[in-house]
Amino acid sequence: MKPAMPGKILPQPNADTRPFWDFCRRHELRFQKCAACGHLRWPASFLCPMCYEKAAEWVQSEGKGTVYSYVVYHQAFHPAFAGDIPYVTAVIALEEGPHFLSAIVGCAPEAVHCGMPVELTWEDVGEGFSLPKFKPIQQP
Amino acid sequence: MNLKDRYAIVGVGCTPQGRFPDRTVLSFYVESCANAILDAGLERKDIDGLICYRQFPTRPGEEEVSAYLVAQHLGLSPNAISQEANCARSHLLHALAMLEAGLCRYVVLSYADTSRLGTLGSPPSYTDKAVFGHFGLAADYALAARRAMHTQHTGPETWKKIAVSQRRWANLNPAALMHGQNMSEEDYDRSRWVVEPFRLADCCLMNDGGRACVITSLERARDLRHPPAVIMGIGQHNPSREIQASTAMDGPTGAFFAGQTAFRMAGVTRDDIDACQIYDCFTYTVEITLQDYGFFAPGEGESWFDHGRTAPGGSLPVNTSGGLLSEAYFMGLTPLTEAAMQLMGRCGERQLGPATGTKTPELILCSDNGGVFQTHSTTILRKG
Repeated sequence: MKPAMPGKILPQPNADTRPFWDFCRRHELRFQKCAACGHLRWPASFLCPMCYEKAAEWVQSEGKGTVYSYVVYHQAFHPAFAGDIPYVTAVIALEEGPHFLSAIVGCAPEAVHCGMPVELTWEDVGEGFSLPKFKPIQQP
Repeated sequence: MNLKDRYAIVGVGCTPQGRFPDRTVLSFYVESCANAILDAGLERKDIDGLICYRQFPTRPGEEEVSAYLVAQHLGLSPNAISQEANCARSHLLHALAMLEAGLCRYVVLSYADTSRLGTLGSPPSYTDKAVFGHFGLAADYALAARRAMHTQHTGPETWKKIAVSQRRWANLNPAALMHGQNMSEEDYDRSRWVVEPFRLADCCLMNDGGRACVITSLERARDLRHPPAVIMGIGQHNPSREIQASTAMDGPTGAFFAGQTAFRMAGVTRDDIDACQIYDCFTYTVEITLQDYGFFAPGEGESWFDHGRTAPGGSLPVNTSGGLLSEAYFMGLTPLTEAAMQLMGRCGERQLGPATGTKTPELILCSDNGGVFQTHSTTILRKG
């Protein structure tokens, strides 16, 4: 297992989010699907917010979606990101339904736009953690 | 429960506002509360309810501020006491409940802070959003604003009008942090990006200081020093969903439902409103709030804010102290106390009426919004 890159912020899994981050280590983006009503929920939670059923299955996302909204950071709020400026964080509307906050990579900030098709790409950040980020889907 | 015309704001307490590294947050709580009590013409023995904000982390070496600590330092032993994070929008509801239940006769609402930079900039424990480089409230509100730019006509051309109009009000308010600093539309355009689409000029101030007010029944209010600012209508709505998971990021926000409740209770319409004091953590918050209240249709903000409609001399003044953008940040108490002061006629150079070429206000609409569009309250005040 690689050590964390110096200064990087790593996920801090808790009892609710640990399965999510464990799947990420295997490069699998998974969300809880309610065993009773089928609602796909995010963020991870103890029970289904629609029907209060506790049982759920972690189902895998295809990792495809569109940029629902995004922002461009021109100021570092933490030293670990000072070298990345300007960089983009975005909410991705995944095809399966959940809206997921992540970062856009492989693309100049000024090229990002709402509705832009994106796909999942993994960034290994150390201590076995991998972050699900998104890059533009290359048009043929 | 219909609370129309039953309760009123009867006193406002201010403190120095700005940077005061040698003062404790407790000192701002006690100063603002004491000033509010004295301003109302009351004595400490009259006060039987106290509500404080859940304070931000104190500076090193300072005791954590509890409502008991504030009460102790004010020489109070209240019948009801409360301290929580939902600031003025919930504090006002709690105060009315304490009064309506007969537990209290005079309730003080207070907020103070000395360390907001620490909580907005680099919180001590990060959420899982920080691993992607996502920090702070500016970025969260910017996400909502960017989505609105995609689905309707809005953006910096609208927001600069809001920033500039509020600065013109601050220029009339000697207590405003931006009193002496003019802002033109060109100055706005030159303001640096923080989290695009927000520039620094889109963001509220952060400052040390405190603010408080006293609420009592309209009956008791009539015996006090100032004409009361009477609560005509109040409404709250809490969509609650965090912005990153929202599928309706561009609204309607809680303002839509809270506004309807408040207008219904007050028995008035938008056309009756003489001025607004809108919670303005960011310029866009002012736009979406007034839009959700129905003052203009989605995408029409740019033309609605044109020609100084909300500035001194305008037909619908908004944020007449300069607001959170240009006066000082006291959460929902900045708008609420400014509305009370205007209705009491105590605003000097910025007083609504002949002094500023505006209507003398009978009704003022106030808003308070929290989380990231997760909670909203609307209060309609009238001249007593």
